[in-house]
Amino acid sequence: MKKRLLVTLLTASLAMAAIGAVPAMASDDGSTQGTNTFVDGGTDLSFWTFQELHVAFWTTMADVWNEQNPDRPINLTVTNGESHSLHTKLLTACEAGEGTPDIADIEIGYYGSFVNKGYLIPINDAVEPYENDVVMSRVTMYGDPEGNYYGVDFHLGASVAYYNMDIMNAAGVDPADIVTWDDFIEAGKKVLEATGKPMCAVETADLFLPQMMMLELGAQYVDAEGNPNLVTDEHVQVIDKIREMIDLGICIVAPGGGFHTEEWYGFLDQDGVACVLMPLWYMGRFTDYMPDLNQKMAIYQIPVWNEGDVREVLQGGTGTSVIKGTENEQLAKDFLAFAKLSKEGCTYEWNELGFDPIRTELWDDPEITENKDNKFLAYFTTNPFDILKANGTELTAPDISGLYSTTYSTLVSTTYANAFEISIDMDAAELLQQEQDSIIF
Amino acid sequence: MKKSPAKTTLLILFFIGAAVVTLLPLALLFVASLRPGQELMRNGLNFNIDWKNANLDEYRYLFSGNNAYFTWYINSLIVTVVQVGLALILSSFVGYGFAMYEFKGKNLSFMLVLLVMMVPTEVIILPLYRLIIRLGLINTKAGIIVPYVVIPMLIFFFRQYLSGIPKDFVDAGRVDGCSEYGIYTRIMLPLMKPAFAAMGIYEGMASWNNFFWPMIVINQNSKITLPVGLQSLLSPYGNNYDILIAGSCFAIIPILLLFVMFQRYFIEGMTAGGVKG
Amino acid sequence: MESKKKKRLSSRFLYSQKIAPYVFIAPFLITFVVFFAYSIVNMVVMSFQNVAGANSTFIGLQNYQKILPNAVFQKALKNSIFYTIVSCALMIPIPLVMAVMLNSRHMKGKAFFRSLLFIPALTSVVVSGVMFRLMFGELEGSFMNKLIGLFGAGPLIWLRTPVTVWIILFFLCMWRWTGVNMMYYLSGLQQIDSALYESAAIDGAGTLDTFRYITIPLLKPTTIYVLTISIFGGMAMFSESYMIFNGNKSPNNVGTTLVGMLYRMGFEQGNLGIASAIGVVFLLIVLVVNVVQLFINGTFGRKED
Repeated sequence: MKKRLLVTLLTASLAMAAIGAVPAMASDDGSTQGTNTFVDGGTDLSFWTFQELHVAFWTTMADVWNEQNPDRPINLTVTNGESHSLHTKLLTACEAGEGTPDIADIEIGYYGSFVNKGYLIPINDAVEPYENDVVMSRVTMYGDPEGNYYGVDFHLGASVAYYNMDIMNAAGVDPADIVTWDDFIEAGKKVLEATGKPMCAVETADLFLPQMMMLELGAQYVDAEGNPNLVTDEHVQVIDKIREMIDLGICIVAPGGGFHTEEWYGFLDQDGVACVLMPLWYMGRFTDYMPDLNQKMAIYQIPVWNEGDVREVLQGGTGTSVIKGTENEQLAKDFLAFAKLSKEGCTYEWNELGFDPIRTELWDDPEITENKDNKFLAYFTTNPFDILKANGTELTAPDISGLYSTTYSTLVSTTYANAFEISIDMDAAELLQQEQDSIIF
Repeated sequence: MKKSPAKTTLLILFFIGAAVVTLLPLALLFVASLRPGQELMRNGLNFNIDWKNANLDEYRYLFSGNNAYFTWYINSLIVTVVQVGLALILSSFVGYGFAMYEFKGKNLSFMLVLLVMMVPTEVIILPLYRLIIRLGLINTKAGIIVPYVVIPMLIFFFRQYLSGIPKDFVDAGRVDGCSEYGIYTRIMLPLMKPAFAAMGIYEGMASWNNFFWPMIVINQNSKITLPVGLQSLLSPYGNNYDILIAGSCFAIIPILLLFVMFQRYFIEGMTAGGVKG
Repeated sequence: MESKKKKRLSSRFLYSQKIAPYVFIAPFLITFVVFFAYSIVNMVVMSFQNVAGANSTFIGLQNYQKILPNAVFQKALKNSIFYTIVSCALMIPIPLVMAVMLNSRHMKGKAFFRSLLFIPALTSVVVSGVMFRLMFGELEGSFMNKLIGLFGAGPLIWLRTPVTVWIILFFLCMWRWTGVNMMYYLSGLQQIDSALYESAAIDGAGTLDTFRYITIPLLKPTTIYVLTISIFGGMAMFSESYMIFNGNKSPNNVGTTLVGMLYRMGFEQGNLGIASAIGVVFLLIVLVVNVVQLFINGTFGRKED
């Protein structure tokens, strides 16, 4: 009897599911696949991305393009897939030379593989008209030593320091006074003493903090030939510095091991740490997951090794590229450059996605920088554009050429876990040598 | 032999303990589905629930149609039904061949069945994936299903099950003028009902919950199956716990339904088709 | 006329009692050749190549020479073997004893508990992985930390300490599969003649004696079967680790298995030659382990009954 009841209940819920499914399929809200407003005679272009938010960006930009270029209209279809399998699928499709899209978003961890194997088309000529208006290091990063660039960043941004002002005020430290890492450590000691809280955190499952400190020193994870190059003096110096902070208790391993885990979001939101060092696009995580920190966070420049160093590096980030095999190479390139580098595109990216604009003119445009309705500007107590303006456009970006993808995979799976958590007493150079030896290439 | 109440009590207490451990994670998940995802992140998964804030919003959102959840759900239902149906028919067909006939190469062929049974599909996932690309089945439901239409484990089971059925049935069928295949469809199929129920649940579980292979074959959000879809909600670009938790609760239902309906046959079929000494 | 005759002839051929068994096993043979044999051959060939589309070149044993001494590969291998051994050691005796207890004539509500313990197997690895990931979260408020907090311990960082990672993986494995293995043993127990137990009781044998001298030996075929599928499942472990760590990554590779390594090299890094070499090593290990296991248990020595 009871069983029959259970079966009835379960069947009823399944029926509900079926009913629920109808509007889901009928309405097709564009979250899984999106198109712009198709026009007659438009050229079909296909696009792959792994991030739902990007779908609307690309379809909107296609509509803007069609308005401005009635002679070369585009009918764009954006497909959104799951990140892991999308990249592996794209890699294999490229290898097979079949089933590739015209344009795709590629995550930085995978980017090197595509450049390496020659699956991307150089876009130099399409970027040229914009060259004087944009931060070119955010384009050249997706390039090779021969001077070709294969993509434009989507998710690469200026690294900044996010300070929790409640904690900083309690410790009586003004973040504006922190210039060097030694200043940062001194401030950290005060914070620890006054509040018992750590100054900052480091990831073991990702590499933002050590990479940032490496880039400040101009050091990269791969050598000029693109081979993994973990054992460098700069890398040792960075690891020792972070370890020093850990020893002092002013730096902890991020709960969850990374800055994108639920444990970390909860920890951060509950005033767990005084400072987070991440790129500007991380603002979106604050507005999405840290409602309690609204109006408590201030953005300042990152600490550097020596006074006078440029207080900004570029970190991230997904790049967008034209894939070999496209039948509309020129159109795809021109559209890509337009969407990413035009004023319209940058404005959309900033307003909706919170990515710092690649076009420098927007940094001085009060409609952008003083916009009271912008959720990012409303959330933080300082204006991020001040940092962008202060440091200009000659910035260091990660070298993602050659075997960067392979190297990255080792760094985030073993190297930093060993360096900062598991083998904390092992000599840094020795540890890095061991990590270097473990990479298969 | 009389029953001992003390022993009965002890046994029941033990199994109540086991039941609590078994149900605990599911209960935690259910409680979590009544809480806002934000709160979950902050306080962790536990039984502390503020009934004032508890609500069915997550389910309401799930059913609102503003997400791909039910597209995945339907995909999974289709893949499961087709794959389990094909696997049952074809595997029982093969199992029947092994159980009822003596033929040249039988031992060798059966060794091959055992060989495939012992090798996890994961081993050959890479060449298999390239093959599916070459066959043009990448990113299709057929691509998920095709490598799994004949399951060695099911062949093994059906062979065991059928070897328990007297061959007289087959001979009687032949005398009545049934063809070899007629014997299978008219006489054997009805006799195999419990075996079908047992393997239907077994394969249904495997298919509904399959994760690794569909993740590799499908890359388009509108075509992925439910487990892959749920996993994709855990992306580094914003975890969508509201759908994830409620959706996880709801994902258990079809397979639970199948189990509740057929579990009587399941044990019966398992017993008859189980490994014999 | 001619074609009709041919047709009849061919259908007679198909319907003959000699040919019928081959028709019956044809679906298996076809899928075996197309998917299994083809893939294995392909994989072995690739393992000796530097795979680059049309420009693949044979490089002899280089792929093997690269992976065998590699620290991460060795770790993944160790992890897979360790997981397999421990999960077999847990997932055979415990379900066996529980099945015997459940089957006891003193027990009440058998069907209820049997079904209830089976429920976890119905959840997908994604759902159970998410549950365990959150249950064992490192926040003070997450369930397990609250639980050990009652005893004054913790909070622990469960997912980043090797020992606790293994505890979680084994707990997850037991949670999901105890009910299933118990079901296999229950069906094995149904086949033991109850007269055996009665005569043992008349001879004055205690519970432990009957368990040891009747139940265990007579359940040997079930045990062999459960062992085989446990080795299979243990060596193939990947999805559990993938879900627990939210991706094919774990701190210092504590949860990286052979399949994880294969996936990383083949799919994430597109190094098909290396991945194939890992696959071949993996295949050899699985085959050797299973063949040895079956020989020890005497399956090949026994005649078909």
